[in-house]
Amino acid sequence: MNNILLKELKLSSSPLAFAFIVFGLMFLLPGYPILCGAFFVTLGIFQSFQTAREANDIVFSALLPIAKRDVVKGKFIFVCFIEGCGFVLMFISTVVRMTALVDAGPYRVNALMNANFFALGMALIIFGLFNLIFLGGFFKTAYKQGSPFIAYIIAAFAAISVAEALHHFKGLEALNSFGTDYLGLQLAMLAAGSVAFILLTVLSFNKSCDNFEIINL
Amino acid sequence: MSILEVRNLEKKYPAFELKKVSFNVEAGKITGFIGRNGAGKTTTIKSMLNLIHPDGGEIVYFGMPLTGNEQEIKKQIGYSTGTVNWYPRKKIRQIVSIVKRFYDTWDEDAYRKYLQLFELDENKTPRELSEGMKVKFNLLLALSHRAEVLILDEPTSGLDPFSRNELLDIFGKLKKEGVAVFFSTHVISDIEKCADDIVYISKGKIVSAMDKGKFSEKFGREGETLEDTMLRMERGDFDE
Repeated sequence: MNNILLKELKLSSSPLAFAFIVFGLMFLLPGYPILCGAFFVTLGIFQSFQTAREANDIVFSALLPIAKRDVVKGKFIFVCFIEGCGFVLMFISTVVRMTALVDAGPYRVNALMNANFFALGMALIIFGLFNLIFLGGFFKTAYKQGSPFIAYIIAAFAAISVAEALHHFKGLEALNSFGTDYLGLQLAMLAAGSVAFILLTVLSFNKSCDNFEIINL
Repeated sequence: MSILEVRNLEKKYPAFELKKVSFNVEAGKITGFIGRNGAGKTTTIKSMLNLIHPDGGEIVYFGMPLTGNEQEIKKQIGYSTGTVNWYPRKKIRQIVSIVKRFYDTWDEDAYRKYLQLFELDENKTPRELSEGMKVKFNLLLALSHRAEVLILDEPTSGLDPFSRNELLDIFGKLKKEGVAVFFSTHVISDIEKCADDIVYISKGKIVSAMDKGKFSEKFGREGETLEDTMLRMERGDFDE
């Protein structure tokens, strides 16, 4: 499995996939819809898939002495690796905002969503949606990327809009808490996001393996 | 000894169908797979490599069905086509450094030997290679992991006569080393020059699969070259 990940990193990937990880730091921006950072991380991965298609990467991988399922696994591991790197930056940014910058004016006076564990949970849901809609859609043909990505954009921005709107509803203000306020609820939201990410990714992976086995390359 | 058996292979597309394609490839022999454009050569080859999903039939390598033994079998086969560019902007050195990790049979000495024989520069990228050199690069990858069967899809397509001749000579050398070479072509002179066996496909159906000499005996007429015979057969003028 190390070999297939190494192939993804050294041969298949585009430098943009790595460069766009830095958008995880958008969690530090005040007055900005910070979940767009998660979307931009996935935009880099999408660029990487385009580069790979130009290099005939899928057929090349399918010819290697590995099971077809491992070709799919390689792509999923690569995507989760990039998402994981982006998440680490988001997590660090969030912790900085929750601790050292908890009383910083620009963050306190902010009509948009605050960076907290709920936001991190939502970022994981956006990554999960990418894995489900884009990756799952891509492996229906192992070629078409446009329509799965457009479907993902719609879902991602719907999720961002919902996440941004929720704390404005009465009774849901705690979702936008600062520092360690409502920590139990916040951690529960992060856990829920993690579970959703895992479920969406595993579901997509299994479906992708089944599809990739029967499509014609 | 049959190193590769294709049995009753079927694949149906809306406008084309492979009809119970069956033939064998023998160890240490060169088998030419001939047919006109659209006859089903690439579909057959892709099925042999598990790149497409056949509707029926079986592919058996070294006595093992491809289904269920894909990993083991792919370690012992090599594939090449003259028309596909793998990672066109990566250096050959970089591609090789990754590919060799997948093969426990990788032979660094063989790699150096063929690199020199094919006059390939490791610091070049596939996009900088001519069509002939691209085929050689693919052959280099296949031979460096000691592939026992080479499956080549139109390797001579787009090559000038000198490169074509050179490539066919390489096939001859590989055959002497015991490698089975199976190559598709629509150029009859390629078959005439180096093939031991002929598998002839027309409209998705195998017309004949046999030794080149027997093929000429069975289908050839007085004074005909192999090319004349096949052109006549392609017009449907022959006895089954």
